[in-house]
Amino acid sequence: MSQSAGRQQAIVAFRDLRSSLTRNQLRGVLQGSRLRILLILVFSLIFWGALFAFFYEGFQFLNSFLNATEEVVEYVFGIFFLSLLVMLVISNGIIVYAGMFHAREMEYLLSLPATDDRIFAYKFVEALAFSSWGFVLLGSPLLVAFGITAHAPWFYYILFLLYLLSFVLLAGSLGAMGAFCVANFASHRPRTVLAVLGVILLASLILLVSGVMRAPGELLTRDWLDSVLDRLTFSQNPLLPSRWLSHGLLAAARGEAEPALYYLLVVFSQGAVAYLLVSVMARDLLRRGFSRVQGGRSSRRRRGLYAIDSVFHAMFPFIPHPIRLLILKDLRCFRRDPAQWSQFLIFFGLLGFYFLNIRKLGSGLGNSNPYWSNLVGFLNLAVTALILSTFTTRFIYPLLSLEGRNFWILGLLPLKRESILWGKFAFSAGISLVATEVLVVLSDLMLGLEPLMIGLHIVLIAMLCFGLSAISVGLGAYMPNLREEDPSKIASGFGGTLNLLVSLVFIALMVATVALPCRAYFASMTTNTSGLYAVPYDVFVRWLALAFGLCVVIGVLAVAIPMGMGIRAFRRMEF
Amino acid sequence: MIHVNGVSKFYGTRRAVDQLDLNVRSGELFAFLGPNGAGKTTTIKMICGLLAPSGGSITVAGLPAQSSGARRQLAYVPDQPYLYDKLTGREFLRFVVEMYGIEKAHATRRIGDLIETFEMSDFIDELCESYSHGMRQRVVFASALVHDPKVLVVDEPLVGLDPRSGRIVKDLFLHQARQGVAVLMSTHLLSIAEELSDTIGIIHKGKLLARGTLPELKQQFQSDGSLEEMFLHLTGGDRPSFDRLEPVREASR
Repeated sequence: MSQSAGRQQAIVAFRDLRSSLTRNQLRGVLQGSRLRILLILVFSLIFWGALFAFFYEGFQFLNSFLNATEEVVEYVFGIFFLSLLVMLVISNGIIVYAGMFHAREMEYLLSLPATDDRIFAYKFVEALAFSSWGFVLLGSPLLVAFGITAHAPWFYYILFLLYLLSFVLLAGSLGAMGAFCVANFASHRPRTVLAVLGVILLASLILLVSGVMRAPGELLTRDWLDSVLDRLTFSQNPLLPSRWLSHGLLAAARGEAEPALYYLLVVFSQGAVAYLLVSVMARDLLRRGFSRVQGGRSSRRRRGLYAIDSVFHAMFPFIPHPIRLLILKDLRCFRRDPAQWSQFLIFFGLLGFYFLNIRKLGSGLGNSNPYWSNLVGFLNLAVTALILSTFTTRFIYPLLSLEGRNFWILGLLPLKRESILWGKFAFSAGISLVATEVLVVLSDLMLGLEPLMIGLHIVLIAMLCFGLSAISVGLGAYMPNLREEDPSKIASGFGGTLNLLVSLVFIALMVATVALPCRAYFASMTTNTSGLYAVPYDVFVRWLALAFGLCVVIGVLAVAIPMGMGIRAFRRMEF
Repeated sequence: MIHVNGVSKFYGTRRAVDQLDLNVRSGELFAFLGPNGAGKTTTIKMICGLLAPSGGSITVAGLPAQSSGARRQLAYVPDQPYLYDKLTGREFLRFVVEMYGIEKAHATRRIGDLIETFEMSDFIDELCESYSHGMRQRVVFASALVHDPKVLVVDEPLVGLDPRSGRIVKDLFLHQARQGVAVLMSTHLLSIAEELSDTIGIIHKGKLLARGTLPELKQQFQSDGSLEEMFLHLTGGDRPSFDRLEPVREASR
């Protein structure tokens, strides 16, 4: 049989395979719960709408306040798409690596008579779709909002979709190249490569943000803006694909079809060339890389660090012994997976960095002004809780799903099933409390808040830790995904997304309930000359007590409802 | 059909396969025996072109093991075979048929015959995610045969199968061997090796310790006992003692 005939067969076979899989998957979804489909659609629309509103207001603000739209938007687009390019390259790299060199499916595909580049093409489409849907979900509201603000012509809305697709092709191909390089030349240390990459990115981000934060001039003035833009000049490097994208999109928004098409062709042709290159790499390196990764099993002996176990038992004698054992098991598994804790470090590294820069933010907005100090204090609380919610969604929500695959081990232990859930809850709440309380107290001290507000924040963040942990553990048990082995895929599925949304609603309710009376009180203190109603201190304390009571109720419900749902579902679950 | 010449494979510094020589002729049913971690699956994966040998060479039907030509002649059934959960068994068989470029009318007949042979008509149009282990194995064996392979490589074929499915699989191996197919089967079930195989190879710590028919092996090692005794003797396996395990006392907390 000729080689071209063989290639044609493989193309047809993979095309039919993909269409059968998609058809059956869709049929399964449509035959499933209508409520679930409705929830996905409604939440997706809400999410898209919220992003659109945020970007639209942002562009309106730039338009009216700074009066420098074109120039600023070019930088905003440059930075936004550069960040997305980096994220897409890395996420595609990780997905291609896992899908090509670790998946059981690959062992089967590589035993078929299809050529290696054809197998790669089949898997690459899957990886691209999986890693890029978020990009389209983030990018499309931004570009629609900009189009409306800039009164863009009709063809802008068609072109931006083509731009996004071409950009995704380019970023995905670059990520796949990285995956091939790691599999072939660093197959024994993929997690170390990822951890190093994470550290480099974090350092770059810290450098960038600290540069922007140290920009001279009064906040939100033209001088300040010029110095900020000056520090972001690197995003306008003509060799960056993000710049081609931003230039082309701005031209399209202005109605200049020729440069818009030119830059589209530049992005697309670079994407096509990158895909061609990675196909050649697949032809020559896919099988070699697979052999290296599969042949590179580690047989390193692990030390238990059992002294830490003893310290832990001594420190927490009030936690039931079986739950302590479960927590220690989770901590050990977590510690031995660098991919997990490197992401954890990035989360809390970012948070720590943010708090270190509070002093600058505080002084920029008037540190002596109690209104701004309190506003920033609540902003800190909200930011901490938001980052915590991404942490609980990414790390805690998948815990039960991952446990379910080996549940027979735990199921046979002399433990009640709910003890397993409470063990996860204690694990999550414990880590969260330690990480967040320190940051919140430090930031409040730096802002010079009064003891009442510091105490309030301490209790609020503790309730947020308990609530967010309970939501993730409870919903994780209520909607487990026992088929998936990859925690990031579990977190980004329907259940994980719902978990994040419920967490966001919980945070919004908690923070807003207490922040509103505080805002009213401190605003009336600082702007009493403008005729606002001055809130007396005793009235404020009463409002605060009421709001705090409401928060306690919300916090208790946020623990009781999801944990109750999770425990009931977990008791009924069959493995 | 399968020629393994002086093949070694290292996992880091650990030698999983050590200068292995192995030949399986057309029509021969070769049982590959060895304790856990002896190097059986590694050898099989190298024969199928999934792992590259660190040294030595492997040919399948006269072609290098990693070539697509060799893969056209070979069928591989791993110990934990992969099936697409969201395909029906029939759709999966159609995919394999298309991949091998079998003419449509012939392919339809072939799929029909395989469904009958492996007694799959009751479940073949359901999604694979609903299959039991035995059903999955039958679909995988059927898919391995759609293209009339010259070489059949099977890793632990009978694990988890009920007696009926096991019988189907055993008959399949004998039938294939009689048709001239070279069958290489790794197994821990010594009784299966005794019952089915023409030739037995015993591997331990990556080295082939013995090769021959059962009578040849008995003569070679001057043993009148069973294959199990010979296997344990060759692989250094004294029977484990359980006497040292004392009853557990509950720990005080």
